[in-house]
Amino acid sequence: MSATEDTALYSGSQFRFLQEEQARLKMRLQELKRELRNCPQNKVPFPVPEVPLVFRGQTQQGTEVPKSLVSNLRIYYPLPGGSALVNFDDPKVADRVLQQKEHKIDLEEIRLRVQVQPLELPVVTAFQVSSQMSGQRVLISGLPAGLKLRDEELLDKLEIFFGKTKNGGGDVESRELLHGGVMLGFTKDEVAQNLCRIGQFTVPLGGQEFPLKVSPYMSGEIQKAEIRPQSMSQSVLVLNIPDVLDGPELHDILEIHFQKPTRGGGEVETLIVVPPGQQGLAVFTPESC
Amino acid sequence: MATGEDKEKQALKADWHDDKPKKDEQYQKLIDEMVKENVQLKEEIQKLEVELQEATKTAQVQEDIPETKLKFTSLENPENYRQFLNTCCSFQVSPHFTYELQKGEALITFEKEEVAQRVIRMGKHHVQIQDVFVEIMAKPVPLKLGVRFQVHVEVSKMKINVTEIPDELPESQMRDKLELSFSKSRNGGGEVECVEYDKQAGSAVITFVETGVADKILKNKDYPLYINQNCHRVVVSSYIETHLKKFQVFSGISKRTVLLTGLQNVEVMDEETVEDLVNIHFQREKNGGGEVDVVKCSLSQPHIAYFQE
Repeated sequence: MSATEDTALYSGSQFRFLQEEQARLKMRLQELKRELRNCPQNKVPFPVPEVPLVFRGQTQQGTEVPKSLVSNLRIYYPLPGGSALVNFDDPKVADRVLQQKEHKIDLEEIRLRVQVQPLELPVVTAFQVSSQMSGQRVLISGLPAGLKLRDEELLDKLEIFFGKTKNGGGDVESRELLHGGVMLGFTKDEVAQNLCRIGQFTVPLGGQEFPLKVSPYMSGEIQKAEIRPQSMSQSVLVLNIPDVLDGPELHDILEIHFQKPTRGGGEVETLIVVPPGQQGLAVFTPESC
Repeated sequence: MATGEDKEKQALKADWHDDKPKKDEQYQKLIDEMVKENVQLKEEIQKLEVELQEATKTAQVQEDIPETKLKFTSLENPENYRQFLNTCCSFQVSPHFTYELQKGEALITFEKEEVAQRVIRMGKHHVQIQDVFVEIMAKPVPLKLGVRFQVHVEVSKMKINVTEIPDELPESQMRDKLELSFSKSRNGGGEVECVEYDKQAGSAVITFVETGVADKILKNKDYPLYINQNCHRVVVSSYIETHLKKFQVFSGISKRTVLLTGLQNVEVMDEETVEDLVNIHFQREKNGGGEVDVVKCSLSQPHIAYFQE
């Protein structure tokens, strides 16, 4: 084979390779364009409930602003029976109390032995939530204001109506009351699609009939939630309190003990006791609110 | 690409197999061109991929929560037994509805919705600023979609996650070894209620009978797992469940606030003066206006305007 033939063959295969690559690239480009068109970016392919908003003069310079507002942060910490939560004014006192793992509380006839532990709370530091159109869920809107039904009753009425096949519905799997609407989730995909296609329903609610709108529902999913333990420097957990005293009496005895500077204690801000055999849920919120 | 070029290529492709070495140069040119085109296509694809990524990101809500000082507020006694099994962190997320006010734009809020809608219907307005009439366009404010939801993150008091379990034993045997190791009180363990072992993933979820055991074990990052004579260190971590509640997408609609554009050429003046002049113009009924609540304009740099319910 001559050198030129060789080159020609080589060029030939190179050309075919490039041709294939180009076809592949063009396909990918089309695909991307299509995806971009269908992408839910600020454009949901169906109308979503509207909330009237107004500008009252609040502005900020620059372009970087948080997109959302996080509020109502709450941490629920279960306390077992025979425990107490002591909150001191001064974190240094809590530190001092924690230097001994076991505290002995002397009473007239008996001596209580209790364990102390630092308190750490899991706090979410970052999260990511994505949304997509749900195949099984629908949004019901157009609920009249001032309905004389309790939340649970309203959900029941809607579930009954949309659970019936003669109304185009089916088995309801999940339900949730939202801001100005209700989400219903069905076990079968086609039920949600069918209801959305019909769109309008006249539903009896509390003795009257109302026109309600059914539209597709965007559902969300938590993609990520990062947690960091936050230590509560002013708090001390008291555990394994023996079952010898009543709640109120126990409370006073613990408070007296943890206030004694001779026992490492100091000013107690709050002290709560969960007597043996009971359970409690301590609620923590941000200090500023 | 010109069609002429296409034809030329077709012709070249057709006689590719003619083996005419004198055409080599032309082939080379064709190949070079093809390479160039492909590079362009790749660039375009890359650009679109970035765009797509950006677009899906806006469909996501992603936020960092700054550290705040927490305080004990109350002791509750819920009926739901489940709440005693987890430490739960929950919060509400609602959108900040904003409009990025560009240079030469203004926002005006009227007291009445009808007035705002009339101003938009009229479209063009001629506002006197100093000695000139500036043509201003009134438009609805384009607001984005927002999502509102609640996040509940539950950290179990009864369960722990175990990972990096060596794949050395048959499934049921390993399950027993896990139960035995995690029952040892001298290592901080306690009575085990159940073991869910995933052999393929090398992971397990251990449920203890009593509260407090999980906390004690999680003080360390690993735990000794005894398999016959050997001791392996397996990784232990919190067992976490996340729940999303009351998720709702909705769109903000501005009924009383109107967007005004066309103030680019009045930058010689300060914003406050222009705001006053705009206010005066639009509060006059003969200009189609009415009672004005607030005016904000941007003449030199963009502002972020917050919308409220």
